[in-house]
Amino acid sequence: MMRMPLFIAVAALVAVGGLFLPLVVPNPFYFYAGYVVLQYMVIATGWNILGGYAGYTNFGASAFFGAGAYMAAFLLKAFGAPMLVQLIGAGCIGVILGVATGYLTLRIQGIYFAIATVALVVVLETLVHNTDYLGGAAGLQVLAPAPPAWFGGQPQYVFFIMLVLTVSAVVVARWIEVSWIGRSLRAIRASEPAAECSGVPTLRLKLLACAISGGIMSMAGAPYATYSSYVDPVSAFSLTVGLNALAMPLIGGTRSWPGPVLGALLLASVQQVATVTISSEFNILAVGVVLIAFVALAPEGLLGLRAFRRRVS
Amino acid sequence: MKITRRNFTQIGLGTMAGIAAPAVWSGAHAQSQPIRIGASASLTGPLSGTKNLVIGYELWRDDINAAGGLLGRKVELVIYDDQSVPANIPGIYSKLVDVDKVDFLFSPYGANLTAPVMPFAKSRDRFIIGILTLAANDTIKHDKFFQAAPWGPNGAENWARGFFDLANGNGIKKMAILAADTEFSKTAAAGGRRVSEQFGMQVVDYQIYPPTNRDFSAILRNVRASAAEAVFVCSYPADSTGIVRGIQEIGIGDQVRLFGGGMVGTQYASLLENLGPALNGITSFHLYVPEPTLKFTGIDDFLSRYAPIAKQRQVDPLGFYIPPFTYAAGQLISTAVKATGTIDQAKVSQWLHANAVETIVGKMSFNELGDWTQRRVLMCQFRNIQGNDIDQFRQAGKQVIVDPPAYKSGDLMSLAQSRKA
Repeated sequence: MMRMPLFIAVAALVAVGGLFLPLVVPNPFYFYAGYVVLQYMVIATGWNILGGYAGYTNFGASAFFGAGAYMAAFLLKAFGAPMLVQLIGAGCIGVILGVATGYLTLRIQGIYFAIATVALVVVLETLVHNTDYLGGAAGLQVLAPAPPAWFGGQPQYVFFIMLVLTVSAVVVARWIEVSWIGRSLRAIRASEPAAECSGVPTLRLKLLACAISGGIMSMAGAPYATYSSYVDPVSAFSLTVGLNALAMPLIGGTRSWPGPVLGALLLASVQQVATVTISSEFNILAVGVVLIAFVALAPEGLLGLRAFRRRVS
Repeated sequence: MKITRRNFTQIGLGTMAGIAAPAVWSGAHAQSQPIRIGASASLTGPLSGTKNLVIGYELWRDDINAAGGLLGRKVELVIYDDQSVPANIPGIYSKLVDVDKVDFLFSPYGANLTAPVMPFAKSRDRFIIGILTLAANDTIKHDKFFQAAPWGPNGAENWARGFFDLANGNGIKKMAILAADTEFSKTAAAGGRRVSEQFGMQVVDYQIYPPTNRDFSAILRNVRASAAEAVFVCSYPADSTGIVRGIQEIGIGDQVRLFGGGMVGTQYASLLENLGPALNGITSFHLYVPEPTLKFTGIDDFLSRYAPIAKQRQVDPLGFYIPPFTYAAGQLISTAVKATGTIDQAKVSQWLHANAVETIVGKMSFNELGDWTQRRVLMCQFRNIQGNDIDQFRQAGKQVIVDPPAYKSGDLMSLAQSRKA
């Protein structure tokens, strides 16, 4: 396995490479489409820290994404905050929401926990609906400042920001996976009472996982306001975000960091292509069919399939 | 090999021809290429009830192509499904402009879906026609935006002002206002309150209800107790149905002479069919109804061609609300392109700002923000609705225009009087 410093160096190289992409790819459309794929990579990676490593299924990914998007829009509208401040603000609100939700709900498990996370989406969406400053149900039009000249345009700039977020999320996920935190979370996933008996501080670790997972998913929402120049509650707290956050790691594999990345790459790319080629009803259908197929035929995801083949051979 | 002078000349001429050929060919090729118009439509998702707007585009394209095209070039539509999701809009419009290389754009349907495309259109300096979007250009101020719908200047506040003009003209002194707790409704309600006060009317009841509310019995009892003479309602289709049913079940009182105004849903065939006679006496906004005072050139022909296509596609069979305006949006482009003899976006925009255009929904002229210079939102009162047959709404006299005066096809009857009739 690659050592952590080397992994970080490779990840940094990928991010720096993104700086030069506008010179190689002149057409902005590919940055718009690529942004969405990367956005789902971040969301899926964030979701997997709690849902995959610890085994706590979270249906409320869109609550974190929406909170991040609205926090960034608020900072932009109120203070004209730059992107870095928007990202930090979104990350903070995600961590706070993660800890608060975790503290209130982590004593319940399984389906009860999953249902409790859905409530968070409803609460936040209702809050936004009734906040005139955030545009209410009509949404909030956001006019972001011009991006640095180097990028050539807003889509190239937000793509680069999302690329940096993606490699950062992957680095964090891998670090958790190979550290004592990951081992403890896996123990919780296997058997929580057994882990507790073995001295694993389960509640504290689950809260930590909630905080990191929430922070990452909220940061994924931060550049959305700049990307679309508009935030509305229906899109920000969309069921599609929650569904994809769940489906992508399940398709790729929840045991390790490449699973969500692979699942997001596969599913989000198919969805992007489908949007501009065939009927979009296919989008939701594709997620559903692929999810059912993987749950039935490859419950360990794509990476699990590879391990299974290796075991058979 | 020795190069003679003759060889040199031949090689030189050949090289020049070789260099010039692609330019000549591509110029000629560009002239033969179709003019492409791009749009997104909500073919799926919560706004999929508006997908009949595509029929308007298609009929316009067919008419233009049957007449020899625009500037001798065929017209081609490129339409993607936005799934009613604003998040899909930036990617779709980038695909239309950067990959499909469309020449002109139509906006998606409505304000929420158009909001993400306006900064894009402005930053790329693209010509775009708004499809029933309200106040889409108020903050962006893009000089190549034009609105197809007749909301008029300052539409966000004034689109339903005709209701208050009507109330004032009929001597109403006590106004009640009901609005769903959404931005669109609340803005209209706040505008309504201001106008009422300007006219010297007393707002005796002002209620904002949650958008998910379906039981209006308590709200309607409050209105009744307030002794309001007119009730301005800003509702969405599901609430509109609940309110109309509520009036039928518990009544609203004989003192109410004018009821409705901003009831979204009363323009759709499905709701008309569902509510039938319960609509009698209600006055609500519309953009087109088949009254004798709205006989624009081409509208009858358009609707007669629309009907069989709508039946086949199982969409709104009447098609009064949106499709005529998408056809008219196409007419704006074709008229301006023919007049200027070019597809240059700046010249076409300048021409549209300076000239009025005759369309199947009337004459359109635009102010500096691209809105119609004059509001022409109709206030129509439902009359003599019998049974739930949808075809009765194709006849005149079922949705009588009571405002604006220029298109009036009848006088306002009080709610109780018209329900008894």
